[in-house]
Amino acid sequence: MLTKLQLHLAAIFVKIFYRDRQAIFFSLLFPLIFTGIFLFSDGEPDPLKLGLVNESNNELSIKFVEMVKQEKFFEVKEGSASELKAELIAGDQTAIIIIPRSFNNLLDPGKLRLLLDASQVRQVDAIQDSLEATLLSIERNIRNIEPMFSLQLEDVKARPQRYIDFLLPGILAYMLMNLCIAGSGFNIVEYRRRGILKRLFVTPIQPKDFIISIVLARMLIIMIQLSVILALAIGLLKINIIGGLLPLYGTILFGAFIFLCVGFFLGSLAKTQESIRPIVLLFTFPQLILSGIFLPITSLPDFIQPIAHLLPLSVIASTMRDIANDGASLIAMNLNFLGIILWVLISFFVATKFFVWQKVAS
Amino acid sequence: MSIITVSMLEKHYPDPEIKGTTFAAVNKINLSINAGEIFGLLGPNGAGKTSTLEMLEGLNEIDGGSVVIDGIDVKINPYEVKKIIGVQLQSNEYFDRLNLSDLLTLFANLYSTTVDPMHLLAKVNLEDKANAKPDDLSGGQKQRFSIACALVHNPRILFLDEPTTGLDPQAKRNLWNLAKDLNADGMTIVLTTHNMEEAEHLCDRIAIMDQGQIIAEGTPQQLILDHAPEPPKAALHGNIEDVFLVLTGHGLRD
Repeated sequence: MLTKLQLHLAAIFVKIFYRDRQAIFFSLLFPLIFTGIFLFSDGEPDPLKLGLVNESNNELSIKFVEMVKQEKFFEVKEGSASELKAELIAGDQTAIIIIPRSFNNLLDPGKLRLLLDASQVRQVDAIQDSLEATLLSIERNIRNIEPMFSLQLEDVKARPQRYIDFLLPGILAYMLMNLCIAGSGFNIVEYRRRGILKRLFVTPIQPKDFIISIVLARMLIIMIQLSVILALAIGLLKINIIGGLLPLYGTILFGAFIFLCVGFFLGSLAKTQESIRPIVLLFTFPQLILSGIFLPITSLPDFIQPIAHLLPLSVIASTMRDIANDGASLIAMNLNFLGIILWVLISFFVATKFFVWQKVAS
Repeated sequence: MSIITVSMLEKHYPDPEIKGTTFAAVNKINLSINAGEIFGLLGPNGAGKTSTLEMLEGLNEIDGGSVVIDGIDVKINPYEVKKIIGVQLQSNEYFDRLNLSDLLTLFANLYSTTVDPMHLLAKVNLEDKANAKPDDLSGGQKQRFSIACALVHNPRILFLDEPTTGLDPQAKRNLWNLAKDLNADGMTIVLTTHNMEEAEHLCDRIAIMDQGQIIAEGTPQQLILDHAPEPPKAALHGNIEDVFLVLTGHGLRD
């Protein structure tokens, strides 16, 4: 159980961290920017700016133009070839379709020409595909042909799922990891370099008391920081936490404990302020790629997947995603929960076992 | 009566000049420090003073021999020893954003005790600095505050590591008076110093260390009689600085 000393020391650390106004300001600025990006982009792609040059100008081509205009994926502008080409070069149009003179012949309407500035368009293939699909459906409409097949996307779990719903739990877990490691690893190296730890360990305090008190204090601060992001996400981005906030906070607490302890361990490995950065990067960067933050782990090569699933960020991010998106409970007896318990034990062991408070000989 | 007994104490460090070998920074020293005295450990740079002191304080691992403080073996139970000693270190860095009063409360808590910060600050003449940060203090004030931190749990023994280095004469005198007052109240004080005047003025007994060994031990008067160079015919001649230089040589050590 927690001792009076640990609680008092934790309160002192909260005081120290709370008085660091600059750190608080910048730690809250990131979630604001993050939310802002998703809020203003609305999560939907912008319509494609499409120029239309109607060289045919007959009943069929006018009908075609009208139907293209009705497509919500396109923002259509009609004009002459030279005028629209100039706009395409200037970047004001994404693509131009030129309807040939021969378009009036239903049996042989000729080819529609698609003009693109390939150097400016990063996703030429995707634009071409979506244009072709749209043109196909317009053609069917004009020819009065019923499509033989259609593909309707249906989520097996019947829930409204956007990319942001997938992304947010992972981003929260990733921020949690970074805040924690900065809050313990970087702190410890600085405290040791300045001899503050030596001054502290002149007293009868033991490493575990010191570690637990910093972990408690940092946990409180991190819960507040993540609460701000969650509040913005729920309030402005309409994120739905299906499993409820309580299990989500439970996971955040476990995650904070794990990453703070890992931070202490990395801080003990690092001999200098310069070496802590690459050491931390070596731990965090592979996890950013491998822990399914931006894309599911199943999209990784097969041989990496078993390792990726074991990473601490993976178990925390997956559990948070299961809770937020699928309504799972925290202590669902699955491998992720087992992973969390294992990492709690491993991280606390390495943090206390290898803790170095003395200046490390270089 | 002896409160600190040091027997055959050893500390080895890797030799920076010959890879794979070690040298003895402290080489089988014996010391006996009496309760209620001010004991000075003198020596040139690299003599092993701070290594010895840190082993006594439980801050540095003991490689050989033993240290017993007030009946407690430091090697076996360093945490118990830390409860009865107060330590002032050479470096004076503290957590940012805490004032002197906050820091004294923090240190008291580390000893599981409570303290009246104002009372303690008054004891070291810093009562008007309760809300100041350590960085705002002058050198002398920092040293006095460092001693205040070491006194929060009213220790039986106070260790001072070069307490007056870098202080002006006034600040130095002020600190000496503080040490004398604490000693008059019954506190045993063990200090290391380069300052011969300090050793002579403050210490009841002195041990001079060089190259990891104790090369002389006694009261300042006795050491002067035994080791200071001849000149006049007066009973007491030269001073402790003469003793120091005769015993350890004139060459620079750093």
